[in-house]
Amino acid sequence: MNAFLPLLRTNYRDFVRDRTALFWTLAFPILFIGIFGIVLGRGDDGASYEVGLVMEDASPQAATLGEVLSQFEALELTRGDRESEIASLADGDRRAVIVVPRGFGASIDGGTPQPLQVHFDPSQQTTQQVVIPVLLRAFEVADRALTQTHPMVTADFQTLQSERLQVIDFIMPGLIAMSVMNGGVFGAIAMVSLRERRVLRRLSATPLPAWALVGADVTFRMVVVLLQTVLLVVLAVLIGGVSVKVENLPALAGVTVLGGLAFVAIGFFLGAFAKTEQGFFPIAQVVTFPMLFLSGIFFPLDTMPDWIRPVVSAMPLTYLGDAMRQLMVGGAPVHSMALNLGVLSVFLVVFFGLAVRLFKYE
Amino acid sequence: MPVIEVRDLRKAYGDLQAVAGVAFDVAEGEVFGMLGPNGAGKTTTVEILEGLRIRDSGEVSVLGLDPATSGQEFKRLVGVQLQQVALYPRLRVHEVISLFGSFYKQQAETDELIALMGLQDRRNARIAELSGGQAQRLSVALAVVNKPRLVFLDEPSTGMDPQARRNLWEIIEGFKADGMTVVLTTHYMEEAERLCDRVAVMDHGRIIALDSPGALVRASFDEDAIEFVSNNGLTADDMSGLAGVTSATSQGSAHSIFSSDIPRTMGSLLELAQERGAPLESMRVRHATLEDVFLKLTGRTLRD
Repeated sequence: MNAFLPLLRTNYRDFVRDRTALFWTLAFPILFIGIFGIVLGRGDDGASYEVGLVMEDASPQAATLGEVLSQFEALELTRGDRESEIASLADGDRRAVIVVPRGFGASIDGGTPQPLQVHFDPSQQTTQQVVIPVLLRAFEVADRALTQTHPMVTADFQTLQSERLQVIDFIMPGLIAMSVMNGGVFGAIAMVSLRERRVLRRLSATPLPAWALVGADVTFRMVVVLLQTVLLVVLAVLIGGVSVKVENLPALAGVTVLGGLAFVAIGFFLGAFAKTEQGFFPIAQVVTFPMLFLSGIFFPLDTMPDWIRPVVSAMPLTYLGDAMRQLMVGGAPVHSMALNLGVLSVFLVVFFGLAVRLFKYE
Repeated sequence: MPVIEVRDLRKAYGDLQAVAGVAFDVAEGEVFGMLGPNGAGKTTTVEILEGLRIRDSGEVSVLGLDPATSGQEFKRLVGVQLQQVALYPRLRVHEVISLFGSFYKQQAETDELIALMGLQDRRNARIAELSGGQAQRLSVALAVVNKPRLVFLDEPSTGMDPQARRNLWEIIEGFKADGMTVVLTTHYMEEAERLCDRVAVMDHGRIIALDSPGALVRASFDEDAIEFVSNNGLTADDMSGLAGVTSATSQGSAHSIFSSDIPRTMGSLLELAQERGAPLESMRVRHATLEDVFLKLTGRTLRD
């Protein structure tokens, strides 16, 4: 008797003939990668930001400032009067508006320079994070040009990674970790459904050993999760332009399986509390949803307030996301790899143990 | 030596005593029926014999083994059909049969089994596309996929139309002809009368009668029944007083009169009806059945 392969074949047939499940397993991650890839992809490198320049002063100093600003490729300068430029800012057509006040040149000559007025909308993240630093840098260059001095302290930045990581490089491993989590936790729905339809009870009347049933199911889930990961890595490279560390791909596959097993165990554990397939969804959502936002897969952990750290540390996705980011793109570690793998293993063992204890045929 | 021996079997769910001291034997090659309304304890009894439930007390021996402790060894030997199993909806009929076959060393040929169950036309149909009767036949097929000597069928004809039910009866008679021992639960007395060598009538967790269907009827009734429908105030008491009547029951406007002398009773019944101006509709005379036995023993019908 060898029921393992027939069971595996059954899982495969059941899966590929379920068009809805198939669609969500494949389309959902592709959709995510596509959206993130297009919005955050490397095409953004040459992006420029519209900045309004209001010249209320006709001095040579003001002209120099305008010239310096126009040399920054990241800035797309539009000149106009104060009223219309501020209106454009309010309409969202400008990231910022710089007003060079009347008497700017004269005030520099007089030794008490008048400040420039910079208007911007602080609720816009890219303005805060990108445009303002560029402007400050431009003002610095203009300052040097006007005072005829040379910079004394310069820096040649050496990044930890072989190349500079961009937002897309940060997001993609997080997306893959997310799909491993969903594939694992929601994969347990198959067992819940078998129990709801009393198939588990029928199987318990056959000599089929429980390990063969669970083993075939888990094996199949792992194959699905691995294929999903391969698909996502390929898409991340093709659409997102992410440069993947090829030498780490075998290790990435290993982490995918370890993470997948841990999340399948959690799914089985949650499955013990659901009588029906319908009842399983909200339970699984409640557990997975907070992890999307708090485990650092999409938002860096250091942007989160301190009081939430214990919650973050208790989430398995935190460790899977960190491990994948390190392996896939060489991201800076939040935890050591040993800690990541260790915590995932603990989740696997604890929740598999609990799932076995709580398991019911009916 | 009997295939099944049960002594003082008990099983409770909380306060509910589902099986309250049941004892019987089943002989090799016998079709043994358990008849009773829903909740009588038939399914619980059978599931204990199948090794799916653990008894509270009592002795059970099935094929010389204790189903509660014999595990895989036991499950290889018996065939089981359960109520209300919704198999993999996206699998095909032949795929499900091969899957279940793969759990056993000894397995029937898939296509032979499909032919035996009359499912040739549905071989490649998905389970979700099967009618209730076809799905039920498939579940019976799965119960014999390991060519067992003993098979348990729990209400196998539920949800079948009369034609499908007759087909199933022929299949079960085929099992018996092959020397298989069959334990069958049902709440259709016609099914029990036709198929079973012996019937245990169950109610409230006990066996209240156990014998061949004919003997059960003869023990309770040496008379035949007159049945009719009348809406005009005839009561059981009125009818008990008629000539030759041994007992009478009324359920709404449906009346049954048991009589040891049908012609005399019939005569006086017609007189009474004429006197009262009560029309008698759908009148017929029939032999007593297991249904009557059950009603007489419990005061309730099997469908209650």
